[in-house]
Amino acid sequence: MANKVTDQKSVLVDLTKCVGCGSCTVACKLWNSQSFENPQTGVMENAHGTDVKLDSNTWTTVEHLKVQKDGQEVWRFVKRQCMHCLEPACSSVCFAHAFHQTEQGAVQYDPELCVGCRYCMIACPFDVPKYEWEKVMPSVMKCQFCSSKLADGESPACASVCPTNALMFGSREEMLALAHKTIESDNKYINHVYGEKEVGGTSWLYISDVDFGELGFPTNLPEKSIPKNVHGFTQFTLPIFAVGALAWTGASIYAKRRHAVAHEEHKNEK
Amino acid sequence: MEKHKNLENKGMSRRRFLSVMAGAGVVGAAATMTGCAPVSDPSGTGWLPNQYRNASAMPAQVKGRVPLDPENVSLVRNDEKCILCGQCIEACEKVQSVFGYYELPVHDDFICVHCGQCSLWCPTGAIAERSAIEDVWNAIQDPETTVIVQTSPATRVGIGEEFGMGAGAWAEGQMVTALRQLGFDVVVDTNFSADLTIMEEGSELVERVTKGGVLPQLTSCCPGWVKFVEYYYPELIPNLSSARSPMMMHGSTLKTYNAKKLGITDPKKIVNVAIMPCLAKKFEISRHQFHGLEGGAGKYYEDDTINDMDYVLSVRELANMIRQKLGDVDFASFEEGQYDQIGSTAGLIFGNTGGVMEAAVRSAYYLITGNNPPTSLYHLEPVRGLDGIKRASVDVPGVGPVKVVVASGLANARQLCEEIKSGKADFHFLEVMACPGGCIAGGGQPRTAVPPQDWVRQARTDTMYNRDAVGTIKGTAAGEGAGQDDVKTMDLRLSHANPQITEIYNEFLEAPLSHLAHELCHTTYEDRSGSLTRKEV
Repeated sequence: MANKVTDQKSVLVDLTKCVGCGSCTVACKLWNSQSFENPQTGVMENAHGTDVKLDSNTWTTVEHLKVQKDGQEVWRFVKRQCMHCLEPACSSVCFAHAFHQTEQGAVQYDPELCVGCRYCMIACPFDVPKYEWEKVMPSVMKCQFCSSKLADGESPACASVCPTNALMFGSREEMLALAHKTIESDNKYINHVYGEKEVGGTSWLYISDVDFGELGFPTNLPEKSIPKNVHGFTQFTLPIFAVGALAWTGASIYAKRRHAVAHEEHKNEK
Repeated sequence: MEKHKNLENKGMSRRRFLSVMAGAGVVGAAATMTGCAPVSDPSGTGWLPNQYRNASAMPAQVKGRVPLDPENVSLVRNDEKCILCGQCIEACEKVQSVFGYYELPVHDDFICVHCGQCSLWCPTGAIAERSAIEDVWNAIQDPETTVIVQTSPATRVGIGEEFGMGAGAWAEGQMVTALRQLGFDVVVDTNFSADLTIMEEGSELVERVTKGGVLPQLTSCCPGWVKFVEYYYPELIPNLSSARSPMMMHGSTLKTYNAKKLGITDPKKIVNVAIMPCLAKKFEISRHQFHGLEGGAGKYYEDDTINDMDYVLSVRELANMIRQKLGDVDFASFEEGQYDQIGSTAGLIFGNTGGVMEAAVRSAYYLITGNNPPTSLYHLEPVRGLDGIKRASVDVPGVGPVKVVVASGLANARQLCEEIKSGKADFHFLEVMACPGGCIAGGGQPRTAVPPQDWVRQARTDTMYNRDAVGTIKGTAAGEGAGQDDVKTMDLRLSHANPQITEIYNEFLEAPLSHLAHELCHTTYEDRSGSLTRKEV
């Protein structure tokens, strides 16, 4: 049974504080025992740099971006990982129920239950889940928000190692309050907490001094969660199936009965 | 009909099989859909250092690691070896005051002075020098080129450690022999160009002191320190001596003066390699001020393809090259080879913190008074030792007391920069070495305990000063090749008394601070403060 989220945790990413050291990407690999090998090419790669992508071995990256700010080129480093939506689309599309939310709000993926249909990959508004294309029995892979660490009261691996406190960990209310306080205290920030409202809100929150669109964040997302958006028609899925099954069963019984009667009549005619 | 019945009894009909499978599928799907199926825990079970096993709100003393440009010319990092122990950041912030001394967000640079202390503190060897070994092998194997190698003062008390000789073992002769066996065509000593630096930088100091120039004068031998000033104290750039570092003076004079002496008509066929205890030297040779028409040799020949220096190898890289070529050798028992050029022991002690100052004082005394210094100046105790900041005052007849300060470790240098900025500095000359202890403990020296220990620094320093106390130098005349018989042995503790220094000025450079000396032995600096917003301390 899915847990009820009773203790929603968050990480607040202050993009102005990131120096691009990549500690978080190394912590993720250490804690999750993942190789630095690019699963497609077999080449050893760092998970931070100018051209980095999430893959089945790499659940978080820090992308080095050169963007324009006030007519000047500036560097910004953007950490990417699963946003851990409050109402995750991946979970809602998964008919195998391979996604669960933990009490701390981690959207946990269970490869044991996954049938490999990749609906979640299509559903995710942040393009996060990655497929193990290289395997015979592939799973989908993504950041688990270090769910076992969170359950033990620890912060996720990445947030615990950040030397500049660009990653802050706490309850979602605390982090939201901190985000707004930070934005108000310094006019360099854009007045937008990314993840506060996007697709119904996410566990991971970002603040920045550069427009989120320029930093590769999808900016056209609805405030309504994706599961809610499609709930209008997906809610009929089960009833439709049930009615269909009933109708089919009925038709089958009717057809069988008719066949038996016809057979009997045929016999009698003989 | 009978036959058909038999078949059915034997096993399962196709229809029955399909319905069983469908039933199992429906039950399974129903179980997962309702969430009844068992959940496995996919969360990480790996390892993280203990300081991270808590909530991030809890303070940890050491956290994360230094930001390092993947394109850094001096340093590379292998993420697979990184255990996030936090030692690199400790060295960078606490010892060197580089990380953490700029406001965030960053501008457009990974702030790094290339000192390489992080590579000495890194317990797993994840941070290492960017290797130039392949390039140097290629140069050596090219029959067209003359590969000239120079060795920095501090290399000879480091290299032995790589071959089990003990901390600070003197291995100058063995190193020269090894360099010749590796195939370097000419082996020269950076002690010589250290002497040249004393002549230029000392003359500059005398001029500033006697003619009222910008004071205090800051030494410019250490490329890590120079970049530190360019980043954090651009207002002190006029204080920096315009003299190049010894390595760079050597680079330009080797391709001009020595090329002629060696009978090399095409300077493009010379490849200058330096063995350095330093990783910032790898950055230094990449400075545009030393390339092509902006550089010394390039300008001299009006050829923008000539750079003053070509490759820098750390002491660790040299040890690797020796192992690659000569295998498992008994380095300690190598015959003691001799350089093709002579440097004084004043040049030798450049490798210690305070050494440049002591060598400069010896020769500045001569430049001002015309007499050699009194014996007390051959052992300037207050500027010796491993203290981070050392102050001394030297009485020079005709000038009065000259106040000198020596700092090593950039956090110490930062204090003095603040002192100068606030107008409280009353000294004339400041020597700074980025690495604590000076070049003998440079980022390119053999790795020792982690973090580097003072007893190792002290052992290396002692060897250097003991050698200076003996002051005996052996060498052959510059550019006349190895293996010749005219070995000169002399007591040489003064840079200005080096006969080959007299020779280079007589035959080529004319005089210290001459026009040609300016082009080949001096340089310019650039304001890098736009790369960061300095945090006020």
